[in-house]
Amino acid sequence: MRTMRKGIPLFLLSLFLCAPASAKDDEVLIGLAAPLTGDQAYIGVGVLQGAQMAVEDANIRGPVFGNTKIRLVPIDDQHNPAQAVLAANKLAADPDVMGVVGHFNSSCTKPASAIYHESRIVQITPASTNPEISRQGFDTFFRVCATDDVQAPVAADFVFSKLNLKKIVIIDDQTTYGKGLANEFEKKFKSLGGAVLLHEGIAQGEKDFTPLLTRVKSTGPELIFYGGVYPELALLLKQSRKVGLVAPWMGGDGIYDVTLIHLASAEIAEGTTATMLGVDPHALPAAKDFVTRYEARYGPIGSFSAYAYDAANVLIEAVRRAGKKDREGVLREVRATKDFPGILGTVNFDARGDAVGKSVGIFKVTNGKFEFLEEVKPS
Amino acid sequence: MNPSLALFLQQLLNGLGIGMVYALIALGYTMVYGVLQLINFAHGEVFMVGGYLAITAAVFLTALFAHAPVVLVLTLMFVFSITGCAALGAFVERVAYRPLRGSPKLTALITSIGVSFFLQNAVMLIYGSKEQGLPPVLPDRLFFIGPISFSLMQAVILAVSVSLMIFLTGFVKNTKMGKAMRACAENAEAASLMGISVTRVVRATFVMGSGLAAVAGVLFSLNYESVNFHDGYLAGLKAFTAAVFGGIGSIPGAMIGGVLLGVFEGLGAGYISSGWKDVFAFVLLVVVLIFKPSGILGENIPEKV
Repeated sequence: MRTMRKGIPLFLLSLFLCAPASAKDDEVLIGLAAPLTGDQAYIGVGVLQGAQMAVEDANIRGPVFGNTKIRLVPIDDQHNPAQAVLAANKLAADPDVMGVVGHFNSSCTKPASAIYHESRIVQITPASTNPEISRQGFDTFFRVCATDDVQAPVAADFVFSKLNLKKIVIIDDQTTYGKGLANEFEKKFKSLGGAVLLHEGIAQGEKDFTPLLTRVKSTGPELIFYGGVYPELALLLKQSRKVGLVAPWMGGDGIYDVTLIHLASAEIAEGTTATMLGVDPHALPAAKDFVTRYEARYGPIGSFSAYAYDAANVLIEAVRRAGKKDREGVLREVRATKDFPGILGTVNFDARGDAVGKSVGIFKVTNGKFEFLEEVKPS
Repeated sequence: MNPSLALFLQQLLNGLGIGMVYALIALGYTMVYGVLQLINFAHGEVFMVGGYLAITAAVFLTALFAHAPVVLVLTLMFVFSITGCAALGAFVERVAYRPLRGSPKLTALITSIGVSFFLQNAVMLIYGSKEQGLPPVLPDRLFFIGPISFSLMQAVILAVSVSLMIFLTGFVKNTKMGKAMRACAENAEAASLMGISVTRVVRATFVMGSGLAAVAGVLFSLNYESVNFHDGYLAGLKAFTAAVFGGIGSIPGAMIGGVLLGVFEGLGAGYISSGWKDVFAFVLLVVVLIFKPSGILGENIPEKV
């Protein structure tokens, strides 16, 4: 019902949006697929803006080959897998599209990756961390972020060894990302010898979690790990206060967003920890120029804008090296990427297309801000 | 008290709060259905707009007067939101539904879905796609009866909803407009022959239904302290379920349906699995429709509005 009600007009809308996508002779198109409307539009727009800046920077440097310039084609997946497939088909059908930056949500990236694979379009996701996606055997899939099987064990180890908490409850939002992250966390936490008192799912978009939290409280956890994205966590934090649940919360990169603190209030969010892929771009000298220009233009940088900038730059560089409009050629050049100087660090891909050597940062909400605690290098 | 009994009562109380909100929205569905036999799918969006208007009022007031008394802020939030939504309801009725009076019912139904999309996207364009937070208005107070805790907000929700329901019942029973509403629900044609202006009654129904949705929106935004332009969709669908569950067209049915749905959902989420919360709500609907298609109080009550 949900997809039906939203689906029909969105489909029509996407037809309009994509109608003028056909390029002039001197243009190469790069797709940007993200949730540009809908409940996660806020994050999606940050991704779009990051990629847009990469394209503009590239065009200022000059044509990628001959007198060909790059144009970004934004396409909206609404954080809805069915829309993601539609979007992917639209991009695939346009012969001028040489690659795609996206999607954002793992639940969208996964079904779309099959379409890109079939039509030989290279896809670089800036943010989808579910490990399963790169294990489907698609040679067109790449990502510039770490995966949840790197992130979640770091979090589990941190809780068990550093915080010394052994009894926890896990809640996830039942999405590909949230559930995947929560399951990886549970696996590692149990293997360390910790006890998982309860592992429950919530429905995304739901607002009232007091029944679940009342139940969680009755199990008496020392910490609650949340696999999901910040809007629901803000509600969970506030409502746990209302049912008298005092255990601290922890989550993954999906909750690392300053909006969490605005929504939940600094006082209630205090002490919440998050793992984030890599470190804060504000702290990186290589990202300084980008962050400054971004914030001057759009306001506070989105959590994934810098990833989108890196992903788009890897792709643009591959188009430049390929030297002509050829999907296989661009794909080959992305695969050949070696030590690409991204603003978040050097980009290298392994055989599956996963980023190599991405470290995980641990952050804690202190006085209304995510404070950097430590960086864990992958072993 | 036995801890598991206390837990049960706590879960019951949790469900009651959200159930009241469902009931308030369901009233709007059921009243419009009673008069026009129209399922107004845009009704959930009116509820969402009510939440946004409340937040706008609260942000404005707290920015203007740093130490405005809580009661004043609350009153103005309600007044602003109810006025805005009532006007919106009347406007939508005038622009979208009145030109379609007399056309097949499906046309109006599809129009209401269109209105729903329009409102959702209009709000997204005006306020942005991000969640809007509400500055804390009510103090975060917890009360205890034995081991059972309830918040000040839950008490406010119960008090406001119950008094509104009593008021509405009295209004429909005793006032002239209420009688006219019942007459139109019974037989619009005969009512118009008796000199009742059906157009006025329909407008009044939309205004009242939207006002109730606005109250639900204010309570919702106060309780969850954030509003998203998506919120009208699921809440509207749940309230619609509650209206059908209670017997669409029946005012007491909508109240009972909303409360029962909230409690049922709460218990299901608390005891079985919270991931299946929505499933419980809609399974309940399917079961009721199989065994009693007219809902709990449907049809048996002649005075449907």
